Amino acid sequence: MGNLKVTMTDVNAETQTFDDVEEGISLMELAKQHGVAGIMGDCGGGCACATCHVYVSKDWFEKVGEPDEIEFAMLDMVADVMQDNSRLGCQIKMSPELDGIDVTVAPASSY
Amino acid sequence: MATQTTEERISERLELSPEEAKLLKEGTLADTEIQAHPRDFYRAMRHGDPIHFDEKLGSWLVTRHEDISAVQSDPVTFSVKHGYSEQQARGMREEFEGYLREHGGGYFPDAIMSDPPYHTRIRKLMENAFTAHRVKELEPRITAVVHDLIEEVVAKGEGKCDAVKDIAIPLTIRVIVEQLGLDQGMEEKISRWSVAVTAQIGAMQTRETMLENAQQIADLQNYLIAKMKEKEANPTEDMISDLVHAEVTNEDGSKEKLTFEEAVSLVRATLIAGNDTTATAIGNLFYVLTTRPGIAELLESVIDDDRQLNRFIEEHLRNEPPVRALSRMTTREVTVNGTTIPAHAHMLLVYGSGNDDETVFPEPRKFDIERKNIGRHVAFGGGPHRCIGLALARMEVKVAAREIVKQMKNLKLAIPESEITYTPTVATHTIESLPITFEAR
Repeated sequence: MGNLKVTMTDVNAETQTFDDVEEGISLMELAKQHGVAGIMGDCGGGCACATCHVYVSKDWFEKVGEPDEIEFAMLDMVADVMQDNSRLGCQIKMSPELDGIDVTVAPASSY
Repeated sequence: MATQTTEERISERLELSPEEAKLLKEGTLADTEIQAHPRDFYRAMRHGDPIHFDEKLGSWLVTRHEDISAVQSDPVTFSVKHGYSEQQARGMREEFEGYLREHGGGYFPDAIMSDPPYHTRIRKLMENAFTAHRVKELEPRITAVVHDLIEEVVAKGEGKCDAVKDIAIPLTIRVIVEQLGLDQGMEEKISRWSVAVTAQIGAMQTRETMLENAQQIADLQNYLIAKMKEKEANPTEDMISDLVHAEVTNEDGSKEKLTFEEAVSLVRATLIAGNDTTATAIGNLFYVLTTRPGIAELLESVIDDDRQLNRFIEEHLRNEPPVRALSRMTTREVTVNGTTIPAHAHMLLVYGSGNDDETVFPEPRKFDIERKNIGRHVAFGGGPHRCIGLALARMEVKVAAREIVKQMKNLKLAIPESEITYTPTVATHTIESLPITFEAR
């Protein structure tokens, strides 16, 4: 058990806060452990699907940074729900700098 | 979402034209004509009977995108383990198993074709080798392999080749052989082995062809087992060495070595799964480039724009998905989109139909690289069994597309389109041979 804090709002607009998060775990893994609705993590954290898409709150986006080109390519495949603050949860690994981070699960790409 | 069932949701059934109604009534995915040109049959099912029982196959065909997605996100109700095992050498399974035990070093059930929680542990073990970032590192090496192969074909100076047999098949084999650490120069053998393994889930074997294929699989297993023993003693930098020494982490954190049986099945699966299907995708690429107006020009126009090229490849996978349909089996009676399926019933998730679902992809036959929801396609399946090699497959198709444009131009089909033959199978939509002409660039 760690002591980092993460707040996640799922696709049903329910917010959960976890305050015992370990360093090194990805937001996708954390969400899967707690069954956060809307996070599937199909490819297992390989940055190769886009089923762990989150919006990082403005205050925190600077700290997590922009997606790299590989991650951008995946986000671009769900362009209809992509925003300026989109990231894949599997690519955000928890660290002390991210203690307190706040993200919202993006809806699935539209029909 | 993981255990969401679809019991309450019912999609609208549309009125079918008399032709569609007839097709729905008389058609079967076991028909090789329909296998080759399935879209009308798919549409009739999607519109009139989206969870359709195909009597000849004895399988429920799931044809709408939304239903496919719902089924694959519930691996407990819809078991891959039982579905795959039921489909393998269907009706002749005992004889198949017996043959391999006697001649192929053993019968090795596919460890990855399993259900959670076992599946989760096995899958985890394989994932690191296939991340998009890992695959990106391989890009220069893959480019070199693909470049050399196409260069060899062009250098023959004949201006013609079989795009499937001379390019698509050897290309994917050379890449995976290098990954696994197998011997180069065995393309023909590995191609035959791949066909034999894939045929086990194709539902089209007679007893005679099943035994021929079992003999090929026995050969394959004997070859792999020898390689694995070699690398167990002397590890090298490749996936086989990794797998023979791999440990699985249990839920309580304890570690366990993979059994030899599991390791054989995973090496076999990696060799076959990433090879036949990706070759099919590249064969299909040549098919659209030579038969659909404007696609070759479109590819040329995006070849230096990475974002657009990625979208081109993704739309190609949506438009011509290599894997047609994979199996599930119900573990209880369940209602999907208004249709009640009994317990222990075999189902096929028809990805080829899901990618053509007009309620998700408007004008599905239009090749449109600007689709905003392009990532929703189910060419790689979805849920916990989503193709693990998806990043590698995309990369191979992308590199092939680049090298085709760099080295070849004026690609033309050398036979009438109506003479193209497809592998008889329900599992994939695979062109067997594609003679083309071209000019060197």
